Amino acid sequence: MSWTEVQTLGVKAASGAGVPPAQALAFGAMLARHVADEGPQGAVQAALDNPDRIVALAHRVETIVEAASITSKPVDATEDDAGTRAMLVSWLAGLPCKSELDVAGPKVRVSLSLTEPSTRGRPERLALTPSLTEQLNTLAAKTYVPDSDASRAGGAGAGLMELD
Amino acid sequence: MPLRAPETVLRLARMGQMMPTRLSFLRVLVRRLCAERAEVRRIHWDICDQGYGQAAYAVDLGGHTYSLVAISNDLPADQRSDRVIATAWDAAFVLFDGIATPAEIARIAAQAPKQEAGRFEPRDLVLSRANKSVRMWNATVAALKAGLQPDPQMIRDIGYLMRTTAVYGNGKFGIADRYLIADRPGLDGPFAAEMLAVFMIRHFTLDLVQHVGGAPLDPSLARHLGIGNATGLGMAPFLVNHPVLLHNWIQARETALARVLDRDTITDEQHTRLQSLAKRAQKHLSDWHVPAEDHDAILRQLEADWAAFLPQIEAATSFAMLWDAAADQTDTLQELLTALLIELCPEDVDDLCHDMADRHGPLIAPFADTDAVKSAVETHWQWALDCDYHNADDCRRFWYVSAAKLEPRLGDRFAEPGAELETPLDIARRVAQLHADLPDAAQPVSKFTETHPQHTHAINRVALLTRYPYAEIRDNLIAATCRPIDMLRCKLSFFGATKFDPKSDLWTRITLAQGAPLGDELRPEMDDWWLPVMER
Repeated sequence: MSWTEVQTLGVKAASGAGVPPAQALAFGAMLARHVADEGPQGAVQAALDNPDRIVALAHRVETIVEAASITSKPVDATEDDAGTRAMLVSWLAGLPCKSELDVAGPKVRVSLSLTEPSTRGRPERLALTPSLTEQLNTLAAKTYVPDSDASRAGGAGAGLMELD
Repeated sequence: MPLRAPETVLRLARMGQMMPTRLSFLRVLVRRLCAERAEVRRIHWDICDQGYGQAAYAVDLGGHTYSLVAISNDLPADQRSDRVIATAWDAAFVLFDGIATPAEIARIAAQAPKQEAGRFEPRDLVLSRANKSVRMWNATVAALKAGLQPDPQMIRDIGYLMRTTAVYGNGKFGIADRYLIADRPGLDGPFAAEMLAVFMIRHFTLDLVQHVGGAPLDPSLARHLGIGNATGLGMAPFLVNHPVLLHNWIQARETALARVLDRDTITDEQHTRLQSLAKRAQKHLSDWHVPAEDHDAILRQLEADWAAFLPQIEAATSFAMLWDAAADQTDTLQELLTALLIELCPEDVDDLCHDMADRHGPLIAPFADTDAVKSAVETHWQWALDCDYHNADDCRRFWYVSAAKLEPRLGDRFAEPGAELETPLDIARRVAQLHADLPDAAQPVSKFTETHPQHTHAINRVALLTRYPYAEIRDNLIAATCRPIDMLRCKLSFFGATKFDPKSDLWTRITLAQGAPLGDELRPEMDDWWLPVMER
């Protein structure tokens, strides 16, 4: 899959799981980075099963960014759960700004340059596991409004047949 | 000269009057093709006498070669639809990175007609499809077969042989992500690959009709056959979901205008050109008629206003004086004048095209505390706070994605199901709700969002404006009065669209590349097709 496909699917899936818009957008960026960096995809699946964890992780990143904005020193975080830690690292690495990350055991040390763009490379393709793909698609489908004659006729514009 | 304020420029009523400029993406692309004296060349042709089969074209740009692979089908009339929910088209296309080999053409021919249901590879850069304007197509073929040329008036009225109904780029359905090609000369601007595909599709339609008609088109007529496009709601959320791009586009355009207005005097050469372009615009307007009565009335008013304004253009001794003379004119005339002034001074303007992309997303610093958020809201979002979202008409619309081929749609939350799944384009309402919930005493923003995570989206949008002032449309996008067509017009003007032909508040047809040089005419002197006119 392309990066954009994975990121967009991640946003939709998080939304479908009930995550608020900002956190869903950030989750999509995290997901693409996580897959690119070969992070454990099982951790993502577990998070999608418990969307409060996604909101909590998003908030944790917010506090780190907030701290980084008022100090030039690295910001430290500790996370004992390996899967959550891997997602935290991917979340920070997926920010649009430049970041340097140092992970040692449960400790994550991060330096952010908020006004400089990220320099991380992105691959040509990303590979999701079949089970994560299925979970993402199932959740994404929850954001779509079922089709109806009324919405088809009135909600989208062009007539159904065009001969001109 | 200061730039016009976002509160002036980014109102839907004004956005819905925007015109193409020399910063529009198709103009930028064609200018580059002309500068490089590129030539579109046919590299594959397996098309029957009726016009069905496969073809491929190649063009060199910025040191790379790109191919357009075209698949032309015999489409039953009852399947011809401009909607996203269509499943078959007259033609399907892929812009391919490199020279498309027979094996690549075969692969693309198997996938491209499926469009959204197909799978594509990283060397596939753009996926598109098009339907014939049956009226223009049949008339052109009939004329050519009879040894004649098509009716110029019909070309003025319709303007294209086919219209695209989607042009997909940036990773959709497996095609290349934009970042893979964003550093390439010529493809570094926004939607540059899509515009290259569109330009080559236009070339294919001209090639195909001459093949089926069995005779060549007069180049002066062929030049005025652009490529149509039918655009619906999908384009509108794009402007909201890509705020940095919106900022960059508007800022480039406003900077261009300000630079021109900063000139102390108009040179004789510029004055001559100003008159010439102003008169061309007048003719363009007189050729531009649309069936929708309300939109045609706007055009006819503009035509009359512009005619009345021409003496002021003739008398202008400075651009600033001319701009001042337009101060009490309509938004519609001011936007036309903006595009005209930008057209006049390429040396002030053309470099700005390099600042219109967004390579990395928003770079924003967090607010110091909730008081800073409150201050920013009250400074930049008063227009959003002034709405009464308890009033049904201030929140009547909801944007959503239909399960039917993921077609974007717009509903009435008080009359239709699905509002609980609305796409979060209700930025104004969200900012007002944030403002209402902000604490009286300052606290760290992260402390506030810990208990109000639903407000993080609004906080991020508020933060965006501190660095990207043109990033937000200053209107309530869920109000009953919101017209998506205004957002479409804004975006399409940046593409370089002309002859906007709105079919409702939800979708429009447009023409691209009308008047543009043909595939074998790409020379610097040919880049003069702003608001094109076919001489009678």
